[in-house]
Amino acid sequence: MSRSNPNRSMKGMLVVFSVLFVMLASYLFYSTVTYGEQWFSSPYNPRISASRKVADAGSIYDRNGMPLAWSEGSVRRYAEDPEIRRAVCHVVGDVYGKSMGAEAFYARYLYGYDQGLIDRFVTAFEGDRKGGDVYLTIDARLCGYILEHMDFQGAVVLMNYETGEILASVSNPTFDPEAIPDGEEEETGSQYLNRVTQGRYPPGSTMKIVTAACAIENGVTDAVYDCPGEIVIAGQRITCPRDGGHGEEDLAGAFEDSCNVYFAQLAVTLGADRMTQTADRFLFNHAWHLADFAMLESSYSAGSNNGDLAWSGVGQYRDLITPMHNLLISGAVARQGSMIEPQTLLDVRYGGRSGYTYTPHTLGDPVSSSVAGTLGALMRATVLEGTATSADIEEAAVSGKTGTAEYTDNGETRNHSWFVGFSQDPAHPLAIAVILEGAGYGSRYATPLAGRVLSRAIELGY
Amino acid sequence: MIIRRYGVAILLSFMILFLLSAFLLLSFREGAFDAHIMLAGGIFAAFVLVQYNVLAAVFRRIDRYVLLITDFLQIISVIMLYRMKPETGERQIIWILIGTVLMVIALTVVRRAGNFGRWNLLFMILAVGLLGVTLVLAQRTGGALNWLQIGPFSFQPSEFAKILFLIVTAYYLSTRQHRRDLWPYFLFTILCVLLLVAARDLGAALLFAGTFLIVFYVGTGSLWITLGAIGAFAGGAVASYYIFGHVRTRVQVWRDPWATYNENGYQIVQGLLAIASGGLLGSGLGNGMPQSIPVAESDYMFAAICEEFGIIVGVALIGFYLLFIVRGVLIAMDARTKFAKLLVFGATCLLALQSFIIIGGVIKMIPLTGITMPFVSYGGSSMLSSMMVLGIIEGIAVQNGEYEEAEIAEMGGQME
Repeated sequence: MSRSNPNRSMKGMLVVFSVLFVMLASYLFYSTVTYGEQWFSSPYNPRISASRKVADAGSIYDRNGMPLAWSEGSVRRYAEDPEIRRAVCHVVGDVYGKSMGAEAFYARYLYGYDQGLIDRFVTAFEGDRKGGDVYLTIDARLCGYILEHMDFQGAVVLMNYETGEILASVSNPTFDPEAIPDGEEEETGSQYLNRVTQGRYPPGSTMKIVTAACAIENGVTDAVYDCPGEIVIAGQRITCPRDGGHGEEDLAGAFEDSCNVYFAQLAVTLGADRMTQTADRFLFNHAWHLADFAMLESSYSAGSNNGDLAWSGVGQYRDLITPMHNLLISGAVARQGSMIEPQTLLDVRYGGRSGYTYTPHTLGDPVSSSVAGTLGALMRATVLEGTATSADIEEAAVSGKTGTAEYTDNGETRNHSWFVGFSQDPAHPLAIAVILEGAGYGSRYATPLAGRVLSRAIELGY
Repeated sequence: MIIRRYGVAILLSFMILFLLSAFLLLSFREGAFDAHIMLAGGIFAAFVLVQYNVLAAVFRRIDRYVLLITDFLQIISVIMLYRMKPETGERQIIWILIGTVLMVIALTVVRRAGNFGRWNLLFMILAVGLLGVTLVLAQRTGGALNWLQIGPFSFQPSEFAKILFLIVTAYYLSTRQHRRDLWPYFLFTILCVLLLVAARDLGAALLFAGTFLIVFYVGTGSLWITLGAIGAFAGGAVASYYIFGHVRTRVQVWRDPWATYNENGYQIVQGLLAIASGGLLGSGLGNGMPQSIPVAESDYMFAAICEEFGIIVGVALIGFYLLFIVRGVLIAMDARTKFAKLLVFGATCLLALQSFIIIGGVIKMIPLTGITMPFVSYGGSSMLSSMMVLGIIEGIAVQNGEYEEAEIAEMGGQME
């Protein structure tokens, strides 16, 4: 021990400390330069709302220039038509931060904060700044049409799957941004929640798209199972709604009929690992970092036994998905396997001059184009002769999948009605997701609404 | 020497100017002039001036850099506290006064004393006792069990156990010739770390373990044992990740604080937002919203300072800590006995790790562990113990100076 020379090792450690502290300073610089803008403009930043001067804020328009929000003096006004005002309330948001809409997410543009790090606060406190005008990708008329035809609580979202532009996004129940009650008291209603991105529902049979994708890419396409109407797997009873069952089913038939017994056994055959892999590639259990809005994580778990696995394969067990994510999945099928990033910000204009360029981005490739092609054919057949015939419209060739998701409400078992699908027509690249809470069978409620919305969108020229 | 003293005077004047102008700004915050705040600033400025000059006159060989850096850190601390919660700033000034007394006591004791061999056993028992009693009696605060309430006072015993740990470490590593004689010390270290982990005071556990590893390596020069110990501690850290839910939570929050914003990520996100909102030059004193960060006055002072004074000052603070560390290591290298070397080096290491762990945690470079920022965070225990650590470093610096003078006198030279 006497051999050691403390001074030499001390010098060595000094070098280590110096490196650590230089790293500290560099990281501080690096992270603020790289993420500072994004962090600053986060809707969680209380500084933006605190320094808001409504009078200086820019306006919000829909894609056709319909004014959705503007300032008159220090009063914030919202779309004139009360129906449209309600239909777009979640996308547009409010100035009180009750809902996470454009008012919060695009505050940096609306209040003119999208500048360099240094002069931001300087100008903010001089207060002579006028914000930019924000143009959203949504069509407000279409949103109004959707809300008018929604007879249940739930969500409808429509996207151009080639570009990722969200053309309509409606969450019901709605609120009136011009009549938000004052004061700090807690409100009980969920009307401020944007169900499209913040509502997590069991996917029900719409999950069969993912289960089928897993089977196709693993070559398990020729399995045939008999459906007697119910089956018990590892002590758990899985039922089909149809009396007496579907009889003998292959993959295509089972997909068209949405046979739970078939897909439950298929999930067990595929196994937890392969199911989880496919679900992960479809971005289940994935923290979204989208540029334009916040979205909750969807979850998939294969569970610990075959009973759980079977239920997870038909979109129950612990599966949860947001309507927006379900839209992205059918969009990915339409796009030959690549998932597009959904966007709601179309343009930002300062005194008429554009300061933003819309660029489509993809979020990866959950499946190959051949798997997507096979899935698309299954979904097309479902609309032509399966459970989704009420989405078969004249204007375009629609492909889709219905879903009936069970949930318990005060001990009573009820069903969410789902439809996800897309138009194959290259002139109308539209993908849609519809969920109606507690409505009942997907084929009876969500599917016809989806058909009407698609027709209306095509009529409007999308 | 003249130029150097001149330089110090200029630096000190700038610091006082900074302090007074900041307090002038703060006095006008509520619109009308608040004489009470300006008075507090004036008193603190006078204190810093007197403290520096008296210490420099009484202990001629005191390390002026280290003292000046400490003064600067304390000045920025008091300014930020007065800006956020004036009552905490007031109390912080009192802690700094008491801390200065403790620092002088520590300095005097360390300068005269030997290696505390006679006290060693007592120190070990006291350190383990402090940590053990805390674990048994402590109240829960912020997930850690590291506070002890005695009457109206609550204090953090691990802050004081740190000082004892430093002395015991230096004593063992400087007096034992064979590694096999070190086993009581190893047991002591492991016991301390385990008690801290049990109290969920992960920051302090990391601090003790890290200081042990570095000082052990420097004291014994045995790289392999050090690497083995690093492996053991890393194994322990990985094990604690799987055993304790709160460790896992911290790592998850570190990887993606935004995903858990509504639960555990809130503080980190608010800290990052504060830093980003300040930008390069900061929002200016009083113009930011550092109050929106939970416990901004304690662990999150760095984010609050960055918001209002800018990243520039944040980087400067990091630079000041580094300068402090460089001086500390130089004093250690200059020390005449191995005990003194290891004591100062250990003290420097402790401050280095502590400032690195908390700043790194706040800026999300490493997972956040709750620990105070030396000389800056609000809190009596932290300030007093940091001042004692400073006293240890300065004590050896003064001792070095005395040896040097004696050597020069022996050679027939003379100090200027």
